[in-house]
Amino acid sequence: MTDAAITIRALNKHFGDYHALRDIDLGVRQGETLVICGPSGSGKSTLIRCINGLEAYSSGVVEVLGLQVGDNTQILDRVRKRVGMVFQNFNLFPHMTVLENCVLPQIRALGRERGAARLEAMAQLTAMHVETHAGKYPDQISGGQQQRVALARALCLKPEIMLFDEPTSALDPEMISEVLDVIQDLARADMTIVCVTHEMGFARAVADRVILMAEGRIVEEGTPDQIFTNPQHPITRDFIGAIHS
Amino acid sequence: MAETMPDTLIGAMAPPVIRSGPAAWLRKHFFATWYDAVFSVLFAVLIVWVLQALLQWTVIDAIWRVENRDLCTREAGACWAVIESRGRLILFGLYPFDEQWRSTLACLAIIVTIALSCLPAFWSFKRLPALWIAGFGIFVLLMRGGFAGLPLVTSEQWGGLSLTLFIFSGVVVIGMPLAVLFALARRSSLPVIAKSFGFFIDIVRSLPLLALLFAAAVVVPLLLPDALAGNKLMRVVVAFAIFFAAYQAEIIRAGLQSIPNGQGEAAVALGMPYWSRVIDILLPQAFRNTLPSTINQAVITFKETSIVTIIGFFEVMASGNAAIGNGEWGNQYVEVYVFLALIYFVFVFGLSRYGAWLEQRMRLGHD
Repeated sequence: MTDAAITIRALNKHFGDYHALRDIDLGVRQGETLVICGPSGSGKSTLIRCINGLEAYSSGVVEVLGLQVGDNTQILDRVRKRVGMVFQNFNLFPHMTVLENCVLPQIRALGRERGAARLEAMAQLTAMHVETHAGKYPDQISGGQQQRVALARALCLKPEIMLFDEPTSALDPEMISEVLDVIQDLARADMTIVCVTHEMGFARAVADRVILMAEGRIVEEGTPDQIFTNPQHPITRDFIGAIHS
Repeated sequence: MAETMPDTLIGAMAPPVIRSGPAAWLRKHFFATWYDAVFSVLFAVLIVWVLQALLQWTVIDAIWRVENRDLCTREAGACWAVIESRGRLILFGLYPFDEQWRSTLACLAIIVTIALSCLPAFWSFKRLPALWIAGFGIFVLLMRGGFAGLPLVTSEQWGGLSLTLFIFSGVVVIGMPLAVLFALARRSSLPVIAKSFGFFIDIVRSLPLLALLFAAAVVVPLLLPDALAGNKLMRVVVAFAIFFAAYQAEIIRAGLQSIPNGQGEAAVALGMPYWSRVIDILLPQAFRNTLPSTINQAVITFKETSIVTIIGFFEVMASGNAAIGNGEWGNQYVEVYVFLALIYFVFVFGLSRYGAWLEQRMRLGHD
């Protein structure tokens, strides 16, 4: 297990009386692409948000890149600088240009010089094919473009792990592939990826492993082929049937 | 096909005529119906009559020079001679006559400082404080004197427009950072801090401003040693600033609440420290969302500065009252109040226009 990027053991999370995560055990290897799917309310987002400490958990162990994710804010800071995250609603800063969205976090989180940060930002925006929009504000570009800017913004910090929380769910259908394509490139370049998504084509193409969650538990785990063509658990069968139709 | 065609075609109609030009515009807006026409004519007559009367009073029948003051009667027009005679009292209050050039310069220094801090080029955490320290420094040095041959004028003798502007800008400059602090504290995740600041804000808001200023002027020196109590003007400005901050804090809090959670979460996930999340991400959006209420608060505060007259400061309103108070110009109070209204109007209207400009600018997406 020397190449473990993320290790989760006996993780539990309560929202008041609601038991959101129940005894989750999960390991993610360096360079692995893991897709999490499951019906809404199954705890997928809560799980992924426990990995970078956006959500505090009730009991268990979350270890990321050898660091214990817990209450210690200094360790949390170190984790967050090494783990990037992309959200369903992009969450770009609306009062800053696309370029400044990418530059400012580098300055504030890593203490980078503005000049170096600009170079890095332009390089990442170019890799995401949105460099021509650098001077625009987020509300002046399309959803697909905004999500690629959000990805560029995260990649500017040179993360070792990328978390995606339903990155295409807020997009118009014709823009989904332009975002999935760049995530796919990232997966092929051996980035460690944890992605919550229902895009089965994407999962088949890039996922090393798929886990399916229901009611706060991991109910099935396997290769994309196993999960999507030969699901074992009744909940999995219902869910796969539902997103196929 | 042919048999389904009607025998005769409907005659072509003329295309709708688009009427334009001043006559069409007038017709559409003022004379579209007979009652529109009646009201239009009635109000046009009324407006012309009022304007003519106003012009007659303010300009045509007005008496401008003090030499002609005998002509100032109830039947005559405005007696602007009172402004010529008492203008300096209104503008400078009790400030020593021979030193009033200093008050003028100090006033200009504050106006320039306010104007500069309205420019986005000065909106940084180094420039804005530097600008205000310089602005207030020049103001106090000029007003107070006591060096390089300038006679000492203590703050009890300060007055008029420069005092009004000093109090207003002091209240906003001290009150705005306090308001941000109060708002952040009230949203703190530590219940003790959140609750106690919430309680403090509620207490300050439930006290009348007048009571607060009285306490600052009269009660505080009884409680604190002289060294800590400072001078009366300082105490009054700080108390007024706390009052301003209690209201402004709630405006900022509303602005913070209107920002989606995802903004803060994205900044957290990017590893940005707390101060940066507040200063770079949350506050700019909170201020942008609440700009109209913030300008509103500033306008109210500008007009409320006249309340300090109660505790013995001769700001511009009190000086105006003093100008008509001694009987010599007692009949010309209307003219003096019109003059005062004009002064307030210039500053408050300027504030409103500035707010409108900021909103426009932010809507375009620039920051």
